[in-house]
Amino acid sequence: MEIEKGKTAKYLREKSGGVPEQAKENLKEFNRIKKLMLEALAQEDLTIKQLTDKLNMPSDEVVYHLMSLVKYGLVATGDVDDMDEYFTYKLKK
Amino acid sequence: MKDSLKSSSYDALVIGAGIAGGEAALNLANTGYKVLLVDKELSVGGKMIMLSKVFPTLDCAACITTPKVSEISRHPNITIFTGSEVSNIRKISDNEFVAKVTRKPRYVHVEDCTACQLCEKACPTSVRDQYQFGLIGRKAAFIPFSICSPKAAAIDIDNCTLCGACERVCPTHCIDFTMETETNELHVKTIVVATGFNLFDPNNIPRYGYGKYKNVITAMQMEREIAPTRPFHTILRPGDGKVPDKIAYVLCVGSRDATVGNPICSQICCMYSIKQAQLLMGALPMADVTIYYINIRSFGKGFEEFYQQAKGMGVNFVKGKIGRISEKENGNLILRYEDINKGKLQEAEHDMVILSTGVLPTKGIDGLFENETLTLDQFSFVGQSDMLASPAKTSIGGVFVAGAATGPMDIPDSILSAGAASSEAISYIIQHA
Repeated sequence: MEIEKGKTAKYLREKSGGVPEQAKENLKEFNRIKKLMLEALAQEDLTIKQLTDKLNMPSDEVVYHLMSLVKYGLVATGDVDDMDEYFTYKLKK
Repeated sequence: MKDSLKSSSYDALVIGAGIAGGEAALNLANTGYKVLLVDKELSVGGKMIMLSKVFPTLDCAACITTPKVSEISRHPNITIFTGSEVSNIRKISDNEFVAKVTRKPRYVHVEDCTACQLCEKACPTSVRDQYQFGLIGRKAAFIPFSICSPKAAAIDIDNCTLCGACERVCPTHCIDFTMETETNELHVKTIVVATGFNLFDPNNIPRYGYGKYKNVITAMQMEREIAPTRPFHTILRPGDGKVPDKIAYVLCVGSRDATVGNPICSQICCMYSIKQAQLLMGALPMADVTIYYINIRSFGKGFEEFYQQAKGMGVNFVKGKIGRISEKENGNLILRYEDINKGKLQEAEHDMVILSTGVLPTKGIDGLFENETLTLDQFSFVGQSDMLASPAKTSIGGVFVAGAATGPMDIPDSILSAGAASSEAISYIIQHA
């Protein structure tokens, strides 16, 4: 098989007979949660507690995914509440 | 994957590129010997490069490690194999060992990668970041961490969907999915084992609730939370994103505990916990920090002063052994403990618990050698055949040991030990030339 520079993923995909199921499932799940979070934050700025209630997800999962979205540059950190306990998160413009 | 076999020769093989292995490699290289430095991780620097600060000076760990790592990486006498493992070492003669080194494909040509991170941005996948101890995600195309060396991307092939997005955006076309596992046959004159240590897995003590209660974390996770390259924007509870204000440290988790098979003291847990407590009080001035301990072992230079300094800052020390941790509905944690001084069972509520996990030996080192026996001590660390006169000597002539591979020790002791190992290795090469 001739391998073109910059298109080697196709080579490995064909050689290994496709993409591992687990990798596909992970991607699907991440995209689903990302979409839900970004849609919720598009409506209003939210704390993790509010996001947890809105998305009906375990709060530790919300922390993990939300902080990942902050890292990926899609979400920004807002202000902390009056008790200095919970931050608000907003879509990065 | 198809293997390709390459053969090469070096004066010394250093197994493990943490602070001890790196120091030993530098000493050997500065004396003019060609060194191959091998590490299973994607970066050199070991555990130290992941730390926030060091005790008792509170110097920035990265500020100490990165110049050293940079020196190692640029040294003309040092060749580095990251993402690689050593196996099947055979002693042929007094000045020749043959070892097999397997290099897993990184799928990135390191010399061409500019660490621009465009591949990271383009990668659609997100998985738990092992270099942030699972607190946050990373992409399948990723730079391991910001101060890693080599500073180059890598592809996590197990989680990659092979979509090719990273390749399309890479300006230097350094991503290459045709890379394959390489097997190298190495001929070396001496070997330094600097395989470091493992940390105890607190899942093995279910009563502490690690894994079940999300606000119970390990000290290494807290180390990441307080490091400048932290996973979160500030210190947060992983369970619900609350800024904690009543934090507990539980010492001797998986050390000094024969019931989990590790009766020895880890030597570093007291001091790293006190260090973190001081850093937390700086980062969260309103927080209460309590350390539950059996004994505070402040044996090193400046350690006792460091302990007293923490007390003076307001860290609360309770001589108590934790029996059980349970969780309240709001994520707070109830610690049930024996107050050793009062001889009473007590309960205390905290909103975050940090488990100061003990040091364990790295497994499988003795299995690396085919025709010689590398003797381990009674705790499965690499045995020192002449601990007082020649601490780096092992049961195999020409094989020396450095750092925490011999047993728990702190960073200065690891560096000293690496100095001893490299000196012995140099002396061995000269004697057997």
